Amino acid sequence: MNINLNKSGISLLNALSTHSELIMQAYFSGSVNEAEHSPKVIQNLIDLKVLWRPESDVELRLRPALRTLLEESLQDENNRQIDANIGNLLATLTTQAQHYKESLAHQKYHESQAYLSDLTEHVYTLTETLATNVRLLWSRISNEFGYVSSVDAKIRENELAQQQVTNMLNQLAMFHFDQLSQLAGSHRELRHLLVVTLQSAFATSTQELSLVQSKLIELLGRFREFKGRTRLLKGFMLHMDQKPDFEPVNYVTLSNVPALFNRASGIIKPAAADVNNVEQEFELTSLVNNIRTVNRLWQSAINRPVANPLVVEQEQSVELDEDKLKQEVENYFCEVIDSGVNTSALNYYQHNQLEFDQEVWIYQVIGAFQGLPDSEREYFDIETHGTPHPVYDGNFIIQDIELGLR
Amino acid sequence: MITEQGRVLELLLSGQFVCQTLDEDAHRYLQSSANRAEVEQQLNILNRHLSSAAEGEVYFASYQVLGDNERKTLTSQFQEVSSHLMPMVEWLLMVQEAMATDMPLTQGTMIRLNELQTVVEDTPAYAEQLGKISRYALFGSKASELDAQLKLIFKRLVELGYLVRPNQDKQIYTATGKIDYLFDVLKFIDETENLSLAERAEDAISQSSLL
Repeated sequence: MNINLNKSGISLLNALSTHSELIMQAYFSGSVNEAEHSPKVIQNLIDLKVLWRPESDVELRLRPALRTLLEESLQDENNRQIDANIGNLLATLTTQAQHYKESLAHQKYHESQAYLSDLTEHVYTLTETLATNVRLLWSRISNEFGYVSSVDAKIRENELAQQQVTNMLNQLAMFHFDQLSQLAGSHRELRHLLVVTLQSAFATSTQELSLVQSKLIELLGRFREFKGRTRLLKGFMLHMDQKPDFEPVNYVTLSNVPALFNRASGIIKPAAADVNNVEQEFELTSLVNNIRTVNRLWQSAINRPVANPLVVEQEQSVELDEDKLKQEVENYFCEVIDSGVNTSALNYYQHNQLEFDQEVWIYQVIGAFQGLPDSEREYFDIETHGTPHPVYDGNFIIQDIELGLR
Repeated sequence: MITEQGRVLELLLSGQFVCQTLDEDAHRYLQSSANRAEVEQQLNILNRHLSSAAEGEVYFASYQVLGDNERKTLTSQFQEVSSHLMPMVEWLLMVQEAMATDMPLTQGTMIRLNELQTVVEDTPAYAEQLGKISRYALFGSKASELDAQLKLIFKRLVELGYLVRPNQDKQIYTATGKIDYLFDVLKFIDETENLSLAERAEDAISQSSLL
């Protein structure tokens, strides 16, 4: 491991993380506004080869390599480049495989290991490139070139994509597996890398690319159809502007009615309920139940006068009860008048073994006293026995009443 | 329980355009030729025939044999469709331009009423256009507020089956296959009457770019 390289690599990554905001800003806006950042930071990033100045009088930009890294990691759909330099990569592979074989033949095992690891790296780069390119094409198809708005632009983008697919297919034709397998010879590692890995990558990408191609053609057809439709709409508007009284001939009167205008009218109407169908009994009953709740309201409104006798009866019984009470209170008043002695209501209650609630009794006595006409009330005097409420003052709890004559 | 076939028949016999947006299952059912043959057989009993438009995107029931009564029905239908043409064409163009996607409406296109309303409100030309469209007999709006006009137009379009509103709580509408059918009608008229509408539009566009 090269210590210097390691150190500077770490310092580069640190610089990226410290200035991440600046870098992302440059990624989105395309260039760096130098006035917003200190010259020291800018110079540092230029030295680390993060930013560069394409020409002397233009603004600083991100290095393409860094931009590609960000685009791929973020799966940004702005990324429309397809790097299809497969021929170059294949040539590198061949060269390195030869290095490896030579070093093995000279029994320089240490060196051969280094070559093999380089070779592995390159093979994986190649397969990764293929996969990424196919993925990029698909991402464009899946949102139907959503990054451009007009249909014309979509058609142009589609044509570009088709060209890229053709290029990729041409490049894939450069894979000569017979040569690669000859090159790998009997070396197990080489064979695995050059034949097995590459072949599976090759097979998937050719398969996917042919799918991509058919999908692109289909999309192109759709975009053309859209354009045709728009033209149709606009043309019709123009036509109507020029000939406002235009009316199409009634094609239905032709002896051969065009299929397009032969449209049957709707004939299905809702079916009726079959009350004799036992299977539907449950549904029908529940429906009827629902209806009945509505009817009940309506019935009760109508039938209220009929229900009245019941209420009257109840009232009568209550009155009877009250009458007894009233009668008893009257008796009590008469007793007081007859005897001329002050009598407590509760004493009278116990004496006559009355059956009402005591409280009701006392209440009724007070009520009767208050209810007397002024002229009669003058003859009586009433005194209340009780205690003030222990907590809430001003409240007096009556426990008994004494009634007497004045 | 109604079978899938029964459901499809019911849709067809009630005069609907069966498309993917209106009823995905029914449309899928009709994609298979064996199912189509069965449905066709059932329809034939009622002097009906299964027809399709817009390259198999839309299915509908048509008459098998045309008698006088059928011709009468078709005539009134034709008059209805041709009276829809002008307002629908204007509406389609307006929506297409206002939504800034440059894509004509087709089955499955979603229209967010709120978005459309914002654009139309901000652009006086669209607002004027909308007022004009809403006064066609097809929509018959007497309202002067843009909001009411737009809502009425969409309500009518749902009634006529050009749009559906998948969720009643949201102001999002989806175009149905009936719009594609309308395009077919336009195409047919264009071809039969030799109007060469597309060329005319092309000429107008190239002329305006020359100016």
